[in-house]
Amino acid sequence: MFSPGLTVVIFLLLLVIITISMGVRIVPQGFKFVVQRLGKYHSTLAPGLNIIIPYMDTVAYKVTTKDIVMDIPSQEVITRDNAVIITNAVAYINIVSPEKAVYGVEDYRMAIQTLVQTSLRSIVGEMDLDDALSSRDRIKARLKETISDDISDWGIMLKTVEIQDINPSDTMQHAMEEQAAAERARRATVTRAEGDKSAAILQADGRLEASRRDAEAKVVLAEADREAIVKVAEATKGGELPLVFLLGQRYVDAMRKMAENNNSKVIVLPADLPAAVRGIMGTLGK
Amino acid sequence: MDLQYWHWLVFGMILIIAELFIPSFTIFWFGLGALAVGGLIGLFPALSLTMQLLLWAIFSALLTTFWFLVMKPRMLDKTRAGMSREALLGETGQVISTPEGDRRGVVRFSKPLLGSDEWSFICDEPVQLGDRVQIRDVSGNTLVVAPKNNK
Repeated sequence: MFSPGLTVVIFLLLLVIITISMGVRIVPQGFKFVVQRLGKYHSTLAPGLNIIIPYMDTVAYKVTTKDIVMDIPSQEVITRDNAVIITNAVAYINIVSPEKAVYGVEDYRMAIQTLVQTSLRSIVGEMDLDDALSSRDRIKARLKETISDDISDWGIMLKTVEIQDINPSDTMQHAMEEQAAAERARRATVTRAEGDKSAAILQADGRLEASRRDAEAKVVLAEADREAIVKVAEATKGGELPLVFLLGQRYVDAMRKMAENNNSKVIVLPADLPAAVRGIMGTLGK
Repeated sequence: MDLQYWHWLVFGMILIIAELFIPSFTIFWFGLGALAVGGLIGLFPALSLTMQLLLWAIFSALLTTFWFLVMKPRMLDKTRAGMSREALLGETGQVISTPEGDRRGVVRFSKPLLGSDEWSFICDEPVQLGDRVQIRDVSGNTLVVAPKNNK
């Protein structure tokens, strides 16, 4: 139905269409295409419009040049002092040379993830629990340093790596909480004992002071008595009268106290007070 | 059935419109080729179908080649967004720690490059503290630099 010429032209047209569409490659920004010529690496296409030789060149890999966020899964790490902690991290990598990344390593994501995991484990393994928990920045710096050389062959740059979580394991956390609670309890007990001790000392001091003052007071009282006796003796010009006077005075005081007492309302006062006093004195004097 | 000149014009326009939906930058040239064939038929209505198709193929191929010869030099990258290597190459920084033995030197840039203003570097030639160096290559997180000549 078609003339031979028309058939040839139709196929020629198809050939032209296929050839041109195979030769034109548009690379979007953020990607680079790795081109192989007859199975061998030939070039890397940058973003934009590119022409490759149809049939000979093929786009073998399409590689992103945007930063890749990699979640490093949680893992258990044993620190130098045998405590178990759980860490995970997030790494930001960037493919600098797509050809090295695709030819240098089978699966660069997997490779870097494993590398970060193992490096993190070895770095934390060299630290004590307390160090590991408190020095994230140091771990980060060491991690970056360790990994960046390993991945240089792959044309990949490690932009940053952040420790996301670094937590003691559940049992460890429980033990640490208990330790903290015990420490607080210890401090409370010590504080209470110290308080008791100071209170006892202060009380004893108080008693000592009070006794000292009591003693002083007795001396003062005795002095006063002596002076009173001397004065009374002076007034009565000797004899036992001053003694009788003083004793009589105390006797009357005692009687008054007895009268103030609620229990006994019947007070018997001797009619001859000096005789009564002298009677007491008589028994004392002999 | 004979193809009229306007058939080619409409077909060409359809192809050019299709380029909007299938961005491959090939259909566009076939659309332009079809428009050209349509124009030719307007001038020489006697062209056979075979001749028309052949002309279409030739026009499309020629237009594509011509455009790539003209376009390619103008396709220089305007932005280096997301292209670490291209963004780094050629930047100039100052040596703040010289490489000694196995130890790498440290170079500082006035603006941060890829999130860091200090980078370790390797240099084949001896450099002094405070020398200006230019980035030649990137190796992992280390730069390969060369001293900048015009001091």
